[in-house]
Amino acid sequence: MFALKDSFIKPLRRFNSSSAAAEFFNRNPRNLERMRIGRKPDGYHLEKPGRKFWHKLEVKGSNRTITAQVVHYINGPVVEAKTSEWALRKQLYSMVDTCAYMNLGRVLAQRCLECGISEMYCDLKPQDGSKIEKFLKEFENGGINLFELDVYKNPQPWDQFRPEKPWEVIEE
Amino acid sequence: MFGLKGIFRTNTSQFRQQLRLAHKIRGKAPIYCRTIKERIDELNYKDELYTTRIDIGFPPERKEKVRQEQFQHLKAIKNDKNLEKLARDQKLFIDLDESKKVWLETVGPLHKKQIADHYAIFEHLYGEGYFIPYLNLDIFYDLKNDSCLPVYSGNVIKPAEAIEPPIVSYQCAPDTLWTLVLTSLDGHLTEENKEYAHWLIANIPGRDVDKGDTLIEYLQPFPLKGTGYHRYAFVLYKQNEKLSYEVPKVTSESSLEDRTFVTRDWYKKYQDVITPAGLAFFQTSWDSTVRDFFHKTLNQKEPMYEYDFPDPYIRPQEWFPLRKPFNLYMDKYRDPKQIKKEYLLRKLQSEDPFKSPPPPLKFPNAHPLPKSMPSWLKLHEKKIRLKWGRVNDV
Repeated sequence: MFALKDSFIKPLRRFNSSSAAAEFFNRNPRNLERMRIGRKPDGYHLEKPGRKFWHKLEVKGSNRTITAQVVHYINGPVVEAKTSEWALRKQLYSMVDTCAYMNLGRVLAQRCLECGISEMYCDLKPQDGSKIEKFLKEFENGGINLFELDVYKNPQPWDQFRPEKPWEVIEE
Repeated sequence: MFGLKGIFRTNTSQFRQQLRLAHKIRGKAPIYCRTIKERIDELNYKDELYTTRIDIGFPPERKEKVRQEQFQHLKAIKNDKNLEKLARDQKLFIDLDESKKVWLETVGPLHKKQIADHYAIFEHLYGEGYFIPYLNLDIFYDLKNDSCLPVYSGNVIKPAEAIEPPIVSYQCAPDTLWTLVLTSLDGHLTEENKEYAHWLIANIPGRDVDKGDTLIEYLQPFPLKGTGYHRYAFVLYKQNEKLSYEVPKVTSESSLEDRTFVTRDWYKKYQDVITPAGLAFFQTSWDSTVRDFFHKTLNQKEPMYEYDFPDPYIRPQEWFPLRKPFNLYMDKYRDPKQIKKEYLLRKLQSEDPFKSPPPPLKFPNAHPLPKSMPSWLKLHEKKIRLKWGRVNDV
């Protein structure tokens, strides 16, 4: 819910009166998450794996195939890639070797960017030189940030600082 | 209470500040009570009658002899010594374009449907209807500097990049007729559940989008300032016959009201003769071209919005508040506008329009305050010097 900003300065130019409603509702279910003011499940910090995320990266390997997916906390898996898909398998030598992991990372990164998901939470702690580590490296090289920022908390008048509002930062 | 609509109807708790007056066990003991998941599921439960969805699209095409070909291909790969060498040296990088092409022919449409559901595209376009976009829609915005920006499924495109109509291409037989619609799902200025039709081309013969009848001319996206990301969806419909669509012709000079559109009602009217086949959508957020659009094209004031955060909880005022700093306590119950005014007046007092402002203090709290000053006032002054608290609101 967004309320019309009351302006302190009178408009200099004369315009037709604004036809916009005083309250505006954006139906986009991903909007508040992108603006960092949506709800993020919290309070499960004693549990493992953590549940404090909007989108989370999950990688499952089996003897036959590897599945990597981006999971939303309500909607479940939203973007996924498997090495057993013909799109990957056609060009891979093996479906489970290191190259399969690396290429899976590249393909998933491309799909995430096409779907407008460029930040996600990741609780994988790979060992040095492991396949998962190489997967994550390729995934990050593909342009994905494996870190999700915290929810913006609206400062109260008596709070010490006024953090920058994420939606007012306009990148050039 | 704030208006809770759409998706947030279930999560009422986020709009109210939570209060915990004392630590005491409420309700049943943990071994008897339901888990939070069970309780949330029960709250969100919807009858099957309201959650059943209907596929309104085309069925998948049957592909023949694919299995045999794939088997032969895999056999060839396993015997390829070069490929094996590359894989063992960890230098095998697949061709992403080729991979994407195959993806679009195989599981791509299903993945697109999955992500469109994540963005609630079908819910807001057709209500209970959905379709699997088996036809791939290639849409590019030309950026004029020898590069172009494709529309996939949910990527972000700024309004400045989408001023000109995009280039649309798809694969089809030449003797078929198509309709292309671009609607904004979140952008309606006055009514909540309505859309604006930004582009509507009917009777497109084959792939020649230019030869179709442009019923609604292209209009650039205009996400309002402060309202975040708006979705814009391109849907391609296949027509069974030539259609006139009783829609009044809308040019770029027409007013915004003429573009008001409800895809569900429109589709319901023509559902016997059109079938959705292709889908592409993007998200967009405010930039300065939106302001120009409102000022120059619509000739009206640009509406600006701010997110309406819930008011903080302030407990009722007491006659004798014990162990509370009196100035901070009283400030909570005063008119916030009056407090802001005091800070503003204080700021203006030290400002002279004809002089340059004094340089900021390097060590603000090293400058002594008068000894006779009460300690609460000293603290107040120090906070202002350090720019802490309410002084930031001015």
